Amino acid sequence: MAKKQARETVVLGMLGTTLDTGRGPKRWERWRPTVGLCQQEDLVVHRLELLYPPSHLELARLVAADIAQVSPETQVRLTEVDIRNPWDLEETYGALLDYAKTYPFQPEQEDYLVHITTGTHIAQISMFLLVESRQIPARLVQTSPPFGREPTGPMGGHAIIDLDLSKYDTLARRFRQEQREGLSFLKAGIDTRNAAFNRLIERIEQVASRSRAPLLLTGPTGAGKSQLARRIYQLKKTRRQVAGPFVDINCATLRGDGAMSALFGHVKGAFTGAVGERPGLLRQANGGVLFLDEIGELGADEQAMLLRALEDKRFLPVGSDREVESDFQLIAGTNRDLLVEVERGRFREDLLARINLWTFRLPALRERPEDIPPNLLYELDQASQALGTRVTMNKEAQKDFLSFATSPEARWSGNFRDLGSAVLRMATLAPGGRITREGVDEEVERLRASWTRSGPSPEAMVDLVSQVLGEERAAALDRFDRVQLAEVLVVCRRTRSLSDAGRVLFARSRAQKRSVNDADRLRKYLARFSLSWAEVSGRGAEVTAPDEPAVERAARA
Amino acid sequence: MVHIDGSKGEGGGQVLRTSLALSLVTGTPFQMVDIRAGRSKPGLLRQHLTAVKAAAAVGRAEVSGAELHSRELTFRPRGIQPGDYHFAVGTAGSSTLVLQTVLPALLSASGPSTLVLEGGTHNPAAPPFDFLSRAYLPLVRRMGPQVEASLDRPGFFPAGGGRFRVSVRPAPLSPLHLLERGEVRRRQATALIAQVPYDVARRELETVGRVLGWEESERRVEELKRSAGPGNVLSLEIESEHVTEVFTAFGERGVRAEDVARAAAEEARVYLEAGVPVGHHLCDQLLLLLALARGGSFRTLPLDGHALTQVETFAHFLDVKVSVEELDPRVRLITVG
Repeated sequence: MAKKQARETVVLGMLGTTLDTGRGPKRWERWRPTVGLCQQEDLVVHRLELLYPPSHLELARLVAADIAQVSPETQVRLTEVDIRNPWDLEETYGALLDYAKTYPFQPEQEDYLVHITTGTHIAQISMFLLVESRQIPARLVQTSPPFGREPTGPMGGHAIIDLDLSKYDTLARRFRQEQREGLSFLKAGIDTRNAAFNRLIERIEQVASRSRAPLLLTGPTGAGKSQLARRIYQLKKTRRQVAGPFVDINCATLRGDGAMSALFGHVKGAFTGAVGERPGLLRQANGGVLFLDEIGELGADEQAMLLRALEDKRFLPVGSDREVESDFQLIAGTNRDLLVEVERGRFREDLLARINLWTFRLPALRERPEDIPPNLLYELDQASQALGTRVTMNKEAQKDFLSFATSPEARWSGNFRDLGSAVLRMATLAPGGRITREGVDEEVERLRASWTRSGPSPEAMVDLVSQVLGEERAAALDRFDRVQLAEVLVVCRRTRSLSDAGRVLFARSRAQKRSVNDADRLRKYLARFSLSWAEVSGRGAEVTAPDEPAVERAARA
Repeated sequence: MVHIDGSKGEGGGQVLRTSLALSLVTGTPFQMVDIRAGRSKPGLLRQHLTAVKAAAAVGRAEVSGAELHSRELTFRPRGIQPGDYHFAVGTAGSSTLVLQTVLPALLSASGPSTLVLEGGTHNPAAPPFDFLSRAYLPLVRRMGPQVEASLDRPGFFPAGGGRFRVSVRPAPLSPLHLLERGEVRRRQATALIAQVPYDVARRELETVGRVLGWEESERRVEELKRSAGPGNVLSLEIESEHVTEVFTAFGERGVRAEDVARAAAEEARVYLEAGVPVGHHLCDQLLLLLALARGGSFRTLPLDGHALTQVETFAHFLDVKVSVEELDPRVRLITVG
């Protein structure tokens, strides 16, 4: 009966800074999970790798001594892990991952168990993730307090959980299902198809459900930053990861003296007019989520105070000499490139470093045309709710709208805001709540007009320059010149005469009363590309519009 | 090679320990199967492994299957090695049970031995040190070998941390006849407390007084300042002309002191009323000693499951006959030979 040498059992566990405590003789009557684990009648721990925070060396030593007494078979190795905030997932997971990566696992000789009963929930989650992802080749061991009136003593029981076993498939399935639900939730139930966007949402879901670190959402106006921030909050709330409220503010609306007090609060009499105390948005968000949209608009003083509030969870209200505490998760939004803002000295580099641990760029609607159809359906639902009646769109109308909406011509410069407005307008004007082709045509015109007013689309630039100059000459241009020319061409197309175009193009100079002949200036510019008004206006014929008399110009200005 | 069904009899643990003891003494290898079958945690537990390891050390045995949860064990001793042993048992096992496993072999070894045993010395479900030193070892000495035990410090469940020493000078075991108890000379109730309120001891002793009618002078509190963890043991020692018996009960969290005391007192009352020299626990150990001496007799209480299990296990290793005669509904005569 030759049997192979049994593997030694090695347990990795965090010292329970609450559960494992106890000094006097009474400690032997208490359930102390780490000690109890070494007293199990059907488990021999040959080595215990006990991880402890620097502040708890004394407790770790006492626990080790008690284990030596009750379980001479167990060798206890104390390892200090420097986790300053064991409730911080990044820090805890990172420290444990580092530990796991350098640990000389020998699964052939040793059987590893990870004790998940002690440590903060964050530590437990980290351990679970490390085991699930096989960073630690172990099974989980869970200890439990003595049950009922068993004569087993205070050591309680234990259960070993092998995540590889099929019986945990339902658990894993449920986990995946919840994750899927979370994803769908973040997308507001919209079945988006853009792969890059879906990946982004998946990542946000992972981070949002595990992290309390700041999140930075970037992307153009109307890309859905504030909606996403709100949904992240609601997801965390459903998962009971936050208890406090959702507080949001657009920093662009915080200007001047009121900004500090709006954010950080003030005490009574802090300044003239401060008749009462004001808690401020940061304190209101305690235990919850604070969404600061357009964070790039924040002033220098507010940035400095916000940094302190993020780092220490403490700050000074205006006029107060006593710091207050607030623990919130920050979600910041911006449509600016904050790196550029840092270079220009408008945004603190240290604050950016603190908030861009997790940066997510929400793409413009134009970048994800395949998501326009599902979003159209979503917006129809929204419009129905807003109008209190069921709004539908017949097939042809849908087809027409989508063919325009997904064409390069559709700029969607206001992104989802534009799409939502367009649908709401069509729905409001739809006879009997049914949007028809006519309604769509009208709306398409409206959209075209509004986008033309607000400037050229990038697609249009490319087309116009090569259209007017020809592909070859257009390709020979420097990018610098090409962009400038494109904008000039767009204006020329939109205006009736050379003078009109000149007025639009040199409006600022005119305003500063610099005596400039706009039309002449434009003509000379065009001549550099060997272009005439006739060629650029697209009207075929030279429209001679006399330059306005100087008196009239002066009068207008 | 002897084959033993480990699921038979009173308990896996006792069958195993008795088999180990007899295998060492007789030099007979054995294989045990279905160890503790049918239990909620079948197979070998930690306390059983400590016994196997201690026995293997004393008998220089070849062992296979000595693993947790193992339901099959093969034990092949290769000669008793007297000497100095140190067994650290921890609290998952009892150091007194370990001693009972290896002691019979050392009694007949070729030279003297000393043992240091660490861990629990006063564990529930195991004979406490006081029973060993006052009831069991005096009978061993009467049969020939000289065995002394001294307690350095007690180790209570669950903290453990106790230690005692045993010295053994071997001699052949001669048969023992213990038919009469004789006159009761001394009765002593001792409530041992360590880091436990004094009141617990007082209430236990009062209960003993009430149930057994023992005088104030026959009851005392022993308070231990030096112990690794808290503990409380009530022991009732009955010293008679021909034998000393010890009955014990363990204080336990959530059990009233009166109930603890009543359990021990009831046991003592049954023993006293039956007029026999040997009680239940002593009976189990005495059966083994007499079987090894191949002779002797004693009067005791009706045999319980543990005693019957002992007798069944002897049959695997020894050609010895144990007869049980009912003298009275409360009294049995045991004859070994």
